[in-house]
Amino acid sequence: MNLKGDKRQSCRIVRMRIRAYNLMVLALVLLMAAIAPTVKADPVTSSEYQVKAAFLYNFIKFADWPGEDTADSNEPIIIGIVGKNPFGDAFKPIENKRIKERQVIVKQFKGLGEQEKSGEKDKDEIDKQIEAIRKCQLLFICSSERARFKETVNLVKDYSVLTVGDTQGFLDSGGIIKFVMKENKVRFEISITAANRAKIKVRSQLLRLAKKVVGENEINGAED
Amino acid sequence: MSLMRNMAIKHKLILIIMLTCVTGLLLAGIVFISWESNVFRHNMVQNVSTQAEMIAENCKAALAFQDAEDAKETLQALRVEPSIVFGCVYAKDNKLFATYYRDYAEIRVHPPKFQESGYSFDGGFLTVFKPIVLDGELIGTVCLRSDMGPMYAMLKRNTGIIIAVLFLSSLVAFLMSSRLQKVISGPILSLAEVTKNVSEAKDYSTRAIKHGNDEVGLLIDAFNEMLEQIQQRDIELVDAKEKLEVRVEERTAELTTANEQLTQEIAIREKAEEDLRRAEEKYRIQFEGALDAIFVCDAETGVIVDCNPAATKLVGREKSELIGQHQRILHPPEEIKGEFSKTFLEHLKNKQGQTLETQIITKKGVMSDVAVKASLLEVGGKKVMQGIFRDITLRKRAEQRQNKLLEQLEGANNELKDFAYVVSHDLKAPLRGIKTLADWITTDYADKLDEDGKKQLDLLVNRVDRMHNLIDGILQYSRVGRVKEKQVQVNLNELVTEVVDMISSPENITIKVESELPTITCERTRIQQVFQNLLSNAVKYMDKPQGLVKVGCVEEKDFWKFGVTDNGPGIEEKFFGKIFQMFQTLVPRDEFESTGVGLTVVKKIVEMYGGKIWVESKVGEGSTFFFTLPKQEMGVKNENLKASFVS
Repeated sequence: MNLKGDKRQSCRIVRMRIRAYNLMVLALVLLMAAIAPTVKADPVTSSEYQVKAAFLYNFIKFADWPGEDTADSNEPIIIGIVGKNPFGDAFKPIENKRIKERQVIVKQFKGLGEQEKSGEKDKDEIDKQIEAIRKCQLLFICSSERARFKETVNLVKDYSVLTVGDTQGFLDSGGIIKFVMKENKVRFEISITAANRAKIKVRSQLLRLAKKVVGENEINGAED
Repeated sequence: MSLMRNMAIKHKLILIIMLTCVTGLLLAGIVFISWESNVFRHNMVQNVSTQAEMIAENCKAALAFQDAEDAKETLQALRVEPSIVFGCVYAKDNKLFATYYRDYAEIRVHPPKFQESGYSFDGGFLTVFKPIVLDGELIGTVCLRSDMGPMYAMLKRNTGIIIAVLFLSSLVAFLMSSRLQKVISGPILSLAEVTKNVSEAKDYSTRAIKHGNDEVGLLIDAFNEMLEQIQQRDIELVDAKEKLEVRVEERTAELTTANEQLTQEIAIREKAEEDLRRAEEKYRIQFEGALDAIFVCDAETGVIVDCNPAATKLVGREKSELIGQHQRILHPPEEIKGEFSKTFLEHLKNKQGQTLETQIITKKGVMSDVAVKASLLEVGGKKVMQGIFRDITLRKRAEQRQNKLLEQLEGANNELKDFAYVVSHDLKAPLRGIKTLADWITTDYADKLDEDGKKQLDLLVNRVDRMHNLIDGILQYSRVGRVKEKQVQVNLNELVTEVVDMISSPENITIKVESELPTITCERTRIQQVFQNLLSNAVKYMDKPQGLVKVGCVEEKDFWKFGVTDNGPGIEEKFFGKIFQMFQTLVPRDEFESTGVGLTVVKKIVEMYGGKIWVESKVGEGSTFFFTLPKQEMGVKNENLKASFVS
């Protein structure tokens, strides 16, 4: 009788252990579930552009412009955004930050299509805007300008402007860096050919991070 | 240090050298190892820091673009550095961005706590933090951990090498110091040896040998000098000791003698005390048991202090009746003069110890004669007179009777002496007449007398001569003692020579004085008579063709013993007494003309001087007459002569 009792008791202990294990697993799952939404929600919504905004800043850090060394530090680094601005207030946390000891200013430009729509009236203003665009160090061309990528890129073709976009076929249109989404993470592709044309030297660190590098064999030539 | 104090100097030196060497080496080793470990650490920190910086540089982009994969890849570059076991990158928000574990080190290395920069050693690891700065902005941190194991192993190896070196050099140092310590310890040890020898054998003449002119050399010099001084002192000390010993011996001897004397004195004193006690006892016994009466009186007051039983008997009073009484009660009134008795006063005055005569009276009034001998004694500081009384009443009476008898005897004796002399003297006169008449007849009637008549007449003359000689002999004998001569110093050698001359012995008889004779005090004629009679007898009776007469003398204790020896006919023993009697001759008068008085006179003279005379003889061989003469007081004995003659 005693033996049976002992057995029953030991069985109960085992059962209790199993139950405790299950509880722990459950708690873990719940914890994961609690953390997961924040991670996931970020890139899908506005946070994607926050990351991209940060990336834009960082691109400046990993690229060298001709004559940059001798440039006046009072002259700001201008990030231009062409087209329908998807960033919202994504630049806010990085406002007032200095890159390469220079102030960074974000400027909004109208897309070419928009310019044309209203531009008939003021041709000078358009020229002025183009001039301003050409003075940018980095130009983000929004997906709204998809139809006029080539045109827009061509505007700054002979100027050292790092063009960045996040639309399919951007690199083919002569853009230098293109954002891609991979496994919900923001990644990018780089066209060395375009960079060389713009006389912008993309650092190898950046190149290494790129998911795709176009005109890779031209790196050496560019460096020479 | 106290441990070292009792070590041999050799070991001390070795120990000091070893300690110095080992300490130096140890210190050098420790400094070297700690320095090396420091350098190692520094290098390691540098190295790891460089690595970290490289990683930081390479991770900048990855961080900037949030590419953890790339960061991880960058970290994979650490693979080339085997010592780095862990690396990680923290993002700006201090969250782990990427990690790297060397092989399976994941199990034992956990990501360290975040730190912005710096390095630390813990748990056998070096952890280095490096900030990742991009364009002046901190974007993350790199952390690297390096395993210290290899470094420690290296340190261990180096320590091992250093210990080995230490051990080896210690060994070399030990061997060298064992050899070289002799330079210092050698002279000291030899000095110590010498010191030990000196102190053990007490031989201060040994000297230590100097090895050099260093401090030890100086010490040895000083030691030798000291030894010399000690030697000198020792000699002096030994000398002083010997003197002292002699003195002590003398003293001891003196003391012993003194002690012995003291012991003897004590013994003598004890004996004296004992004697005194015995004497007292003896005195008491004598006093109590004396037959004579003894009275003891106070010398000043005359009061009787003590008396013995004989005394009570003498005076017929009890002792109690006598003690405390005055001594005069003992005597009758005619013997008392003033307060005391006459004899008491006399004894007290000047007749101590002399015997006086007095009378005493008993209680009942009976008087008796006594002789008193008294002497002054001191008993207990008091002068007492002890008188010994003897009842002489009986003696006195006897004396009176004897005196009367003596007087009578002396008268008779004198008469006899006178008679003998007178008789002899008076007898000689008629004899002379007879002889003269006979001569006349012979001369006047020579032709008328025939041969026979002549012969008868010669015989008559002869007999008359003999008669004459006899009378002379008697006269001679009676003269001995009666006639006194002066006592003089007589050299017997001279006297005997005179006697020999006088005798004029025949040529065949030799008289020899064998030994030196003494000089004595006596009446010369008497002694001459003795020798003359003895020698003439010897010559007269000599029957040998070659006669030899010897005179000898032997000194005895109290007397001289003389001997006259001849080789004549000798005397039979039965006649030894007879020959000294008057008118006795051993040979018929017709053969030898002899009166028989000679030896009698000799005997009388010798005995008069207190000597003895005797003869020793063997018939046919000869005889020796011995006589003795006392050495002193010849004259005193003369007094006895009278008595002996009288009696």
